[in-house]
Amino acid sequence: MPQSTPKAATLLEAAVKYLETELMPTLDGYHRFQTRVTVNVLNTVRRELELRGAQAAAERSRLVAMLGHDGEVESLSVELAEKIRAGTIAIDDPALRAHVRQSLADALAINNPKWMTR
Amino acid sequence: MSSEDFGARVQTAVARHIGAPGTIYDLQRLTGGANKTTWSFDAEVAGTRAQFILQLASPRANDESNPLAGVSPHLIAEEDARLMIAAVKAGVPAPRVRAILQPDDGLGGGYVTERVAGETLATKILREERFAGARASMAKQCGTILAAIHRIPVAEVPFLMKLTPAQHIAAQRRIIEFYGFHSPALELGLKWAEQHAPKNTRHTVVHGDFRAGNFIVGEEGIRLVLDWEIGQSGDPMQDLGWVCVKTWRFGGKKPVGGFGTREDLFEAYEKASGHSVDPAHVRFWEAYGSVRWGIGCFSMGTRGVEEVGIERCAIGRRVEEPLWDFLNLIEGRD
Repeated sequence: MPQSTPKAATLLEAAVKYLETELMPTLDGYHRFQTRVTVNVLNTVRRELELRGAQAAAERSRLVAMLGHDGEVESLSVELAEKIRAGTIAIDDPALRAHVRQSLADALAINNPKWMTR
Repeated sequence: MSSEDFGARVQTAVARHIGAPGTIYDLQRLTGGANKTTWSFDAEVAGTRAQFILQLASPRANDESNPLAGVSPHLIAEEDARLMIAAVKAGVPAPRVRAILQPDDGLGGGYVTERVAGETLATKILREERFAGARASMAKQCGTILAAIHRIPVAEVPFLMKLTPAQHIAAQRRIIEFYGFHSPALELGLKWAEQHAPKNTRHTVVHGDFRAGNFIVGEEGIRLVLDWEIGQSGDPMQDLGWVCVKTWRFGGKKPVGGFGTREDLFEAYEKASGHSVDPAHVRFWEAYGSVRWGIGCFSMGTRGVEEVGIERCAIGRRVEEPLWDFLNLIEGRD
Protein backbone atom coordinates (compact mmCIF):
# COMPACT_ATOMS: atom_id res chain seq x y z
CA MET A 1 0.00 0.00 0.00
CA PRO A 2 1.42 3.38 -0.91
CA GLN A 3 1.94 5.79 1.98
CA SER A 4 -1.11 7.96 2.64
CA THR A 5 -0.74 11.63 1.85
CA PRO A 6 -0.36 14.26 3.14
CA LYS A 7 2.36 12.76 5.34
CA ALA A 8 1.96 12.72 9.11
CA ALA A 9 4.48 15.57 9.47
CA THR A 10 2.41 17.72 7.12
CA LEU A 11 -0.80 17.04 9.06
CA LEU A 12 0.94 18.05 12.27
CA GLU A 13 2.31 21.17 10.64
CA ALA A 14 -1.19 22.15 9.52
CA ALA A 15 -2.61 21.52 13.00
CA VAL A 16 0.13 23.61 14.64
CA LYS A 17 -0.37 26.43 12.15
CA TYR A 18 -4.11 26.57 12.91
CA LEU A 19 -3.56 26.52 16.70
CA GLU A 20 -0.80 29.11 16.64
CA THR A 21 -1.98 31.60 14.07
CA GLU A 22 -5.77 31.33 14.31
CA LEU A 23 -6.82 29.90 17.68
CA MET A 24 -4.22 31.26 20.11
CA PRO A 25 -4.81 34.97 19.34
CA THR A 26 -8.45 34.51 20.40
CA LEU A 27 -7.55 32.99 23.77
CA ASP A 28 -6.16 34.17 27.06
CA GLY A 29 -5.39 32.79 30.49
CA TYR A 30 -5.74 29.07 31.09
CA HIS A 31 -6.74 28.06 27.55
CA ARG A 32 -4.03 30.13 25.91
CA PHE A 33 -1.44 28.43 28.12
CA GLN A 34 -2.86 24.94 27.47
CA THR A 35 -2.89 25.61 23.73
CA ARG A 36 0.74 26.73 23.87
CA VAL A 37 1.59 23.43 25.58
CA THR A 38 -0.41 21.54 22.94
CA VAL A 39 1.54 23.26 20.14
CA ASN A 40 4.80 22.30 21.83
CA VAL A 41 3.66 18.69 22.17
CA LEU A 42 2.67 18.47 18.50
CA ASN A 43 6.02 19.91 17.46
CA THR A 44 7.73 17.31 19.62
CA VAL A 45 5.83 14.53 17.84
CA ARG A 46 6.78 16.02 14.46
CA ARG A 47 10.48 16.09 15.38
CA GLU A 48 10.29 12.55 16.74
CA LEU A 49 8.82 11.26 13.47
CA GLU A 50 11.59 13.01 11.59
CA LEU A 51 14.59 12.16 13.77
CA ARG A 52 14.01 9.08 15.89
CA GLY A 53 14.55 6.41 13.18
CA ALA A 54 18.14 7.40 12.45
CA GLN A 55 18.82 8.10 16.13
CA ALA A 56 17.60 4.64 17.18
CA ALA A 57 19.79 2.92 14.57
CA ALA A 58 22.89 4.80 15.76
CA GLU A 59 21.97 4.20 19.42
CA ARG A 60 21.64 0.47 18.76
CA SER A 61 25.09 0.38 17.12
CA ARG A 62 26.66 2.10 20.13
CA LEU A 63 24.92 -0.29 22.53
CA VAL A 64 25.96 -3.36 20.52
CA ALA A 65 29.57 -2.14 20.59
CA MET A 66 29.47 -1.57 24.37
CA LEU A 67 27.59 -4.72 25.35
CA GLY A 68 29.14 -7.07 22.81
CA HIS A 69 25.94 -8.62 21.49
CA ASP A 70 22.99 -7.87 19.22
CA GLY A 71 19.45 -6.98 20.29
CA GLU A 72 16.61 -4.47 20.11
CA VAL A 73 17.54 -0.93 21.10
CA GLU A 74 15.10 -0.82 24.06
CA SER A 75 16.27 -4.08 25.63
CA LEU A 76 19.94 -3.21 25.08
CA SER A 77 19.38 0.11 26.81
CA VAL A 78 17.71 -1.58 29.81
CA GLU A 79 20.67 -3.99 29.97
CA LEU A 80 23.12 -1.07 30.01
CA ALA A 81 21.14 0.65 32.76
CA GLU A 82 21.30 -2.54 34.84
CA LYS A 83 25.06 -2.83 34.34
CA ILE A 84 25.53 0.75 35.54
CA ARG A 85 23.40 0.02 38.60
CA ALA A 86 25.30 -3.22 39.32
CA GLY A 87 28.62 -1.42 38.92
CA THR A 88 29.85 -3.72 36.13
CA ILE A 89 30.32 -0.64 33.93
CA ALA A 90 32.14 2.22 35.66
CA ILE A 91 30.38 5.56 35.44
CA ASP A 92 33.56 7.25 34.25
CA ASP A 93 33.96 4.78 31.35
CA PRO A 94 34.59 7.07 28.32
CA ALA A 95 32.42 5.01 25.96
CA LEU A 96 29.55 5.12 28.47
CA ARG A 97 29.90 8.88 28.96
CA ALA A 98 29.94 9.44 25.19
CA HIS A 99 26.90 7.20 24.72
CA VAL A 100 24.88 8.89 27.45
CA ARG A 101 25.83 12.36 26.19
CA GLN A 102 24.78 11.45 22.62
CA SER A 103 21.53 9.84 23.80
CA LEU A 104 20.61 12.92 25.84
CA ALA A 105 21.48 15.21 22.93
CA ASP A 106 19.30 13.07 20.64
CA ALA A 107 16.35 13.23 23.03
CA LEU A 108 16.75 17.00 23.47
CA ALA A 109 16.85 17.45 19.68
CA ILE A 110 13.31 16.02 19.76
CA ASN A 111 11.94 17.31 23.07
CA ASN A 112 13.52 20.75 23.45
CA PRO A 113 16.29 21.62 20.98
CA LYS A 114 16.83 25.05 22.56
CA TRP A 115 17.97 23.55 25.87
CA MET A 116 21.45 22.64 24.61
CA THR A 117 22.29 26.22 23.67
CA ARG A 118 21.05 27.82 26.87
CA MET B 1 -20.25 20.59 47.41
CA SER B 2 -21.84 23.58 45.61
CA SER B 3 -19.88 26.81 45.39
CA GLU B 4 -22.39 28.55 47.74
CA ASP B 5 -21.97 25.76 50.23
CA PHE B 6 -18.18 25.95 49.89
CA GLY B 7 -18.18 29.73 50.43
CA ALA B 8 -20.40 29.33 53.49
CA ARG B 9 -18.03 26.77 54.99
CA VAL B 10 -15.05 29.04 54.37
CA GLN B 11 -16.90 31.91 56.08
CA THR B 12 -17.79 29.77 59.08
CA ALA B 13 -14.17 28.62 59.38
CA VAL B 14 -12.86 32.20 59.13
CA ALA B 15 -15.36 33.44 61.73
CA ARG B 16 -14.46 30.58 64.03
CA HIS B 17 -10.65 30.67 63.75
CA ILE B 18 -9.81 34.26 62.79
CA GLY B 19 -12.69 36.55 63.69
CA ALA B 20 -16.35 37.41 63.15
CA PRO B 21 -18.24 37.99 60.94
CA GLY B 22 -15.85 36.43 58.38
CA THR B 23 -17.92 37.62 55.42
CA ILE B 24 -16.13 36.38 52.28
CA TYR B 25 -15.41 38.46 49.15
CA ASP B 26 -13.75 37.52 45.83
CA LEU B 27 -13.23 33.83 46.57
CA GLN B 28 -11.19 32.66 43.58
CA ARG B 29 -9.37 29.45 42.80
CA LEU B 30 -5.77 30.26 41.85
CA THR B 31 -4.21 26.89 41.08
CA GLY B 32 -5.06 23.25 41.35
CA GLY B 33 -2.10 20.96 41.81
CA ALA B 34 -2.00 17.21 42.28
CA ASN B 35 -1.48 17.69 46.02
CA LYS B 36 -3.36 20.84 46.88
CA THR B 37 -5.58 23.62 45.59
CA THR B 38 -5.01 27.28 46.34
CA TRP B 39 -7.75 29.88 46.80
CA SER B 40 -7.57 33.62 47.27
CA PHE B 41 -10.22 35.62 49.18
CA ASP B 42 -10.86 38.71 51.25
CA ALA B 43 -12.80 38.53 54.49
CA GLU B 44 -14.32 41.00 56.88
CA VAL B 45 -12.75 40.33 60.23
CA ALA B 46 -13.20 42.51 63.32
CA GLY B 47 -14.32 45.53 61.31
CA THR B 48 -11.64 45.43 58.60
CA ARG B 49 -11.34 43.73 55.25
CA ALA B 50 -8.24 41.52 55.15
CA GLN B 51 -6.57 39.46 52.41
CA PHE B 52 -6.10 35.72 52.75
CA ILE B 53 -4.97 32.57 50.98
CA LEU B 54 -6.65 29.21 51.58
CA GLN B 55 -4.75 26.01 50.85
CA LEU B 56 -6.71 22.78 50.70
CA ALA B 57 -5.15 19.34 50.51
CA SER B 58 -6.45 17.18 47.66
CA PRO B 59 -8.20 14.07 48.92
CA ARG B 60 -5.58 11.85 47.33
CA ALA B 61 -2.53 13.60 48.78
CA ASN B 62 -0.97 11.33 51.38
CA ASP B 63 -3.44 8.63 50.39
CA GLU B 64 -2.46 5.45 52.18
CA SER B 65 -3.10 3.45 49.04
CA ASN B 66 -0.36 5.40 47.28
CA PRO B 67 2.52 2.89 47.26
CA LEU B 68 5.05 5.72 47.29
CA ALA B 69 3.53 7.46 50.34
CA GLY B 70 6.22 7.99 52.94
CA VAL B 71 9.10 7.27 50.56
CA SER B 72 10.02 10.92 50.11
CA PRO B 73 9.04 13.92 52.27
CA HIS B 74 5.51 15.22 52.02
CA LEU B 75 3.82 17.08 54.86
CA ILE B 76 0.12 16.92 55.59
CA ALA B 77 -1.58 20.34 55.72
CA GLU B 78 -1.38 20.70 59.49
CA GLU B 79 2.35 19.90 59.55
CA ASP B 80 2.94 22.26 56.64
CA ALA B 81 1.23 25.03 58.66
CA ARG B 82 3.16 24.18 61.82
CA LEU B 83 6.44 24.36 59.88
CA MET B 84 5.52 27.84 58.57
CA ILE B 85 4.62 28.97 62.10
CA ALA B 86 8.04 27.79 63.34
CA ALA B 87 9.68 29.50 60.34
CA VAL B 88 8.03 32.86 61.04
CA LYS B 89 9.10 32.56 64.68
CA ALA B 90 12.70 32.05 63.50
CA GLY B 91 12.55 35.24 61.42
CA VAL B 92 11.92 33.62 58.03
CA PRO B 93 9.63 35.48 55.60
CA ALA B 94 7.14 32.58 55.44
CA PRO B 95 3.36 32.91 55.08
CA ARG B 96 1.69 33.89 58.37
CA VAL B 97 -0.73 31.13 59.31
CA ARG B 98 -4.06 32.44 60.66
CA ALA B 99 -6.05 29.20 60.81
CA ILE B 100 -5.47 25.48 60.63
CA LEU B 101 -8.68 23.79 59.48
CA GLN B 102 -10.27 21.22 61.77
CA PRO B 103 -12.29 18.18 60.68
CA ASP B 104 -15.59 19.81 61.71
CA ASP B 105 -14.91 22.76 59.37
CA GLY B 106 -15.98 20.33 56.65
CA LEU B 107 -13.29 21.41 54.19
CA GLY B 108 -10.75 18.63 54.59
CA GLY B 109 -7.15 19.35 55.54
CA GLY B 110 -5.90 22.86 54.94
CA TYR B 111 -4.99 26.23 56.36
CA VAL B 112 -5.49 29.96 55.91
CA THR B 113 -2.56 32.37 55.58
CA GLU B 114 -2.29 36.14 55.16
CA ARG B 115 -2.07 37.07 51.48
CA VAL B 116 0.94 39.16 50.45
CA ALA B 117 0.98 41.06 47.15
CA GLY B 118 3.81 40.52 44.67
CA GLU B 119 5.03 38.55 41.69
CA THR B 120 5.78 34.80 41.66
CA LEU B 121 6.40 34.25 37.95
CA ALA B 122 10.15 33.82 37.64
CA THR B 123 10.26 34.84 33.98
CA LYS B 124 8.70 38.22 34.81
CA ILE B 125 10.99 38.76 37.80
CA LEU B 126 14.01 38.01 35.60
CA ARG B 127 13.00 40.27 32.72
CA GLU B 128 10.98 43.24 33.90
CA GLU B 129 12.81 46.50 34.54
CA ARG B 130 10.88 47.20 37.75
CA PHE B 131 12.53 44.15 39.37
CA ALA B 132 16.12 45.27 38.54
CA GLY B 133 16.76 46.27 42.14
CA ALA B 134 15.25 43.02 43.44
CA ARG B 135 17.44 40.97 41.12
CA ALA B 136 20.55 42.71 42.39
CA SER B 137 19.82 41.81 46.01
CA MET B 138 18.00 38.47 45.84
CA ALA B 139 21.03 36.12 45.92
CA LYS B 140 22.22 37.73 49.16
CA GLN B 141 18.69 37.65 50.48
CA CYS B 142 18.49 33.93 49.67
CA GLY B 143 21.62 33.37 51.75
CA THR B 144 20.21 35.26 54.73
CA ILE B 145 16.80 33.59 54.51
CA LEU B 146 18.32 30.10 54.20
CA ALA B 147 20.47 30.75 57.27
CA ALA B 148 17.27 31.60 59.16
CA ILE B 149 15.46 28.49 57.88
CA HIS B 150 18.40 26.35 58.98
CA ARG B 151 18.18 27.88 62.46
CA ILE B 152 14.59 26.67 63.06
CA PRO B 153 14.91 24.27 66.01
CA VAL B 154 14.34 20.73 64.69
CA ALA B 155 12.67 19.92 68.03
CA GLU B 156 9.86 22.36 67.20
CA VAL B 157 9.00 20.42 64.05
CA PRO B 158 9.53 16.78 65.08
CA PHE B 159 7.25 15.49 62.29
CA LEU B 160 9.81 16.33 59.56
CA MET B 161 11.22 13.31 57.76
CA LYS B 162 14.91 12.94 58.59
CA LEU B 163 17.08 12.13 55.61
CA THR B 164 20.85 11.81 55.36
CA PRO B 165 22.21 12.41 51.84
CA ALA B 166 22.50 8.63 51.36
CA GLN B 167 18.88 8.09 52.48
CA HIS B 168 17.77 10.87 50.14
CA ILE B 169 19.34 9.08 47.19
CA ALA B 170 17.95 5.70 48.32
CA ALA B 171 14.43 7.21 48.30
CA GLN B 172 14.90 8.34 44.68
CA ARG B 173 16.06 4.85 43.78
CA ARG B 174 12.88 3.40 45.28
CA ILE B 175 10.83 5.78 43.16
CA ILE B 176 12.50 4.77 39.89
CA GLU B 177 12.23 1.11 40.85
CA PHE B 178 8.52 1.55 41.54
CA TYR B 179 7.93 3.07 38.11
CA GLY B 180 10.32 0.68 36.37
CA PHE B 181 12.47 3.38 34.76
CA HIS B 182 15.55 1.93 33.11
CA SER B 183 17.54 4.81 31.76
CA PRO B 184 21.34 4.70 31.46
CA ALA B 185 21.51 8.47 32.03
CA LEU B 186 19.41 8.25 35.20
CA GLU B 187 21.41 5.28 36.50
CA LEU B 188 24.63 7.16 35.84
CA GLY B 189 23.22 10.08 37.82
CA LEU B 190 22.13 8.01 40.81
CA LYS B 191 25.36 6.00 40.87
CA TRP B 192 27.39 9.22 40.76
CA ALA B 193 25.29 10.60 43.61
CA GLU B 194 25.81 7.43 45.68
CA GLN B 195 29.56 7.67 45.15
CA HIS B 196 29.78 11.38 45.95
CA ALA B 197 27.19 11.78 48.73
CA PRO B 198 28.56 13.97 51.52
CA LYS B 199 28.99 12.28 54.89
CA ASN B 200 28.80 13.62 58.46
CA THR B 201 26.94 16.73 57.45
CA ARG B 202 25.11 19.18 59.74
CA HIS B 203 21.50 18.28 60.37
CA THR B 204 18.96 21.10 60.19
CA VAL B 205 15.50 21.94 58.95
CA VAL B 206 15.59 21.94 55.12
CA HIS B 207 12.95 23.74 53.04
CA GLY B 208 13.32 21.23 50.20
CA ASP B 209 11.90 23.37 47.40
CA PHE B 210 13.61 26.73 47.92
CA ARG B 211 13.87 28.19 44.42
CA ALA B 212 12.71 30.87 42.00
CA GLY B 213 9.02 30.30 41.32
CA ASN B 214 8.38 29.73 45.02
CA PHE B 215 9.13 33.32 46.05
CA ILE B 216 6.73 36.24 46.20
CA VAL B 217 8.84 39.14 44.98
CA GLY B 218 8.37 42.88 45.13
CA GLU B 219 10.55 45.65 43.70
CA GLU B 220 12.66 45.54 46.87
CA GLY B 221 13.26 41.77 46.75
CA ILE B 222 11.85 38.55 48.21
CA ARG B 223 8.77 39.16 50.36
CA LEU B 224 7.77 35.59 51.08
CA VAL B 225 9.03 32.04 50.66
CA LEU B 226 6.21 29.69 49.67
CA ASP B 227 5.67 25.93 49.24
CA TRP B 228 6.84 24.34 52.47
CA GLU B 229 5.09 21.02 51.87
CA ILE B 230 8.22 18.97 51.19
CA GLY B 231 10.01 20.39 54.22
CA GLN B 232 12.36 17.84 55.78
CA SER B 233 15.44 17.70 57.96
CA GLY B 234 18.89 16.90 56.70
CA ASP B 235 21.95 18.49 55.13
CA PRO B 236 21.30 22.26 54.89
CA MET B 237 23.51 22.55 51.81
CA GLN B 238 20.70 20.82 49.90
CA ASP B 239 18.78 24.11 49.83
CA LEU B 240 21.80 26.08 48.57
CA GLY B 241 22.33 23.62 45.72
CA TRP B 242 18.65 23.40 44.73
CA VAL B 243 18.28 27.16 44.21
CA CYS B 244 21.15 26.92 41.68
CA VAL B 245 19.73 24.03 39.59
CA LYS B 246 19.60 25.25 36.00
CA THR B 247 15.91 24.45 35.55
CA TRP B 248 15.12 27.02 38.25
CA ARG B 249 17.08 29.74 36.44
CA PHE B 250 14.17 30.00 33.98
CA GLY B 251 16.47 31.01 31.13
CA GLY B 252 18.42 33.54 33.22
CA LYS B 253 22.20 33.42 32.87
CA LYS B 254 23.25 33.75 36.50
CA PRO B 255 23.59 30.59 38.60
CA VAL B 256 21.40 31.50 41.57
CA GLY B 257 17.83 31.43 40.25
CA GLY B 258 18.95 33.17 37.04
CA PHE B 259 19.38 36.41 39.03
CA GLY B 260 22.49 36.20 41.21
CA THR B 261 25.95 34.83 41.87
CA ARG B 262 27.01 31.94 44.06
CA GLU B 263 29.54 34.26 45.73
CA ASP B 264 26.72 36.55 46.94
CA LEU B 265 24.65 33.57 48.11
CA PHE B 266 27.49 31.90 49.98
CA GLU B 267 28.84 35.10 51.52
CA ALA B 268 25.45 36.14 52.87
CA TYR B 269 24.80 32.62 54.18
CA GLU B 270 28.17 32.46 55.93
CA LYS B 271 27.66 35.88 57.48
CA ALA B 272 24.15 35.10 58.71
CA SER B 273 24.73 31.52 59.85
CA GLY B 274 28.33 31.54 61.07
CA HIS B 275 28.92 28.33 59.10
CA SER B 276 31.36 28.26 56.21
CA VAL B 277 30.15 27.05 52.82
CA ASP B 278 32.19 24.59 50.78
CA PRO B 279 31.31 25.29 47.11
CA ALA B 280 32.06 21.66 46.15
CA HIS B 281 29.57 20.45 48.76
CA VAL B 282 26.87 22.74 47.33
CA ARG B 283 27.80 21.61 43.85
CA PHE B 284 27.02 18.01 44.84
CA TRP B 285 23.46 19.09 45.72
CA GLU B 286 23.12 21.07 42.51
CA ALA B 287 24.21 18.04 40.44
CA TYR B 288 22.14 15.56 42.42
CA GLY B 289 19.22 18.02 42.46
CA SER B 290 19.31 17.93 38.66
CA VAL B 291 19.06 14.13 38.73
CA ARG B 292 16.21 14.33 41.26
CA TRP B 293 14.31 16.80 39.08
CA GLY B 294 14.84 14.43 36.12
CA ILE B 295 13.16 11.70 38.18
CA GLY B 296 10.39 14.17 39.09
CA CYS B 297 9.75 14.82 35.38
CA PHE B 298 9.74 11.08 34.69
CA SER B 299 7.16 10.45 37.43
CA MET B 300 4.91 13.28 36.32
CA GLY B 301 4.92 12.14 32.72
CA THR B 302 4.14 8.55 33.60
CA ARG B 303 0.97 9.02 35.66
CA GLY B 304 -1.45 8.84 32.76
CA VAL B 305 -3.48 11.32 30.76
CA GLU B 306 -6.62 11.05 32.94
CA GLU B 307 -4.82 12.16 36.05
CA VAL B 308 -2.39 14.75 34.83
CA GLY B 309 -3.53 16.39 31.60
CA ILE B 310 -1.37 17.73 28.82
CA GLU B 311 0.83 20.03 30.88
CA ARG B 312 2.14 17.26 33.09
CA CYS B 313 2.45 14.87 30.13
CA ALA B 314 4.67 17.49 28.52
CA ILE B 315 6.77 17.70 31.69
CA GLY B 316 7.51 14.00 31.14
CA ARG B 317 9.40 15.03 28.03
CA ARG B 318 11.63 17.34 30.06
CA VAL B 319 13.54 14.50 31.73
CA GLU B 320 16.65 15.02 29.63
CA GLU B 321 17.01 18.73 30.37
CA PRO B 322 18.26 18.35 33.96
CA LEU B 323 20.15 15.15 33.09
CA TRP B 324 22.02 17.05 30.38
CA ASP B 325 22.79 19.79 32.92
CA PHE B 326 23.92 17.12 35.40
CA LEU B 327 26.38 15.59 32.89
CA ASN B 328 27.78 19.03 32.07
CA LEU B 329 28.14 19.80 35.78
CA ILE B 330 30.11 16.67 36.63
CA GLU B 331 32.28 17.08 33.54
CA GLY B 332 32.98 20.75 34.34
CA ARG B 333 31.26 21.94 31.15
CA ASP B 334 28.66 24.15 32.83
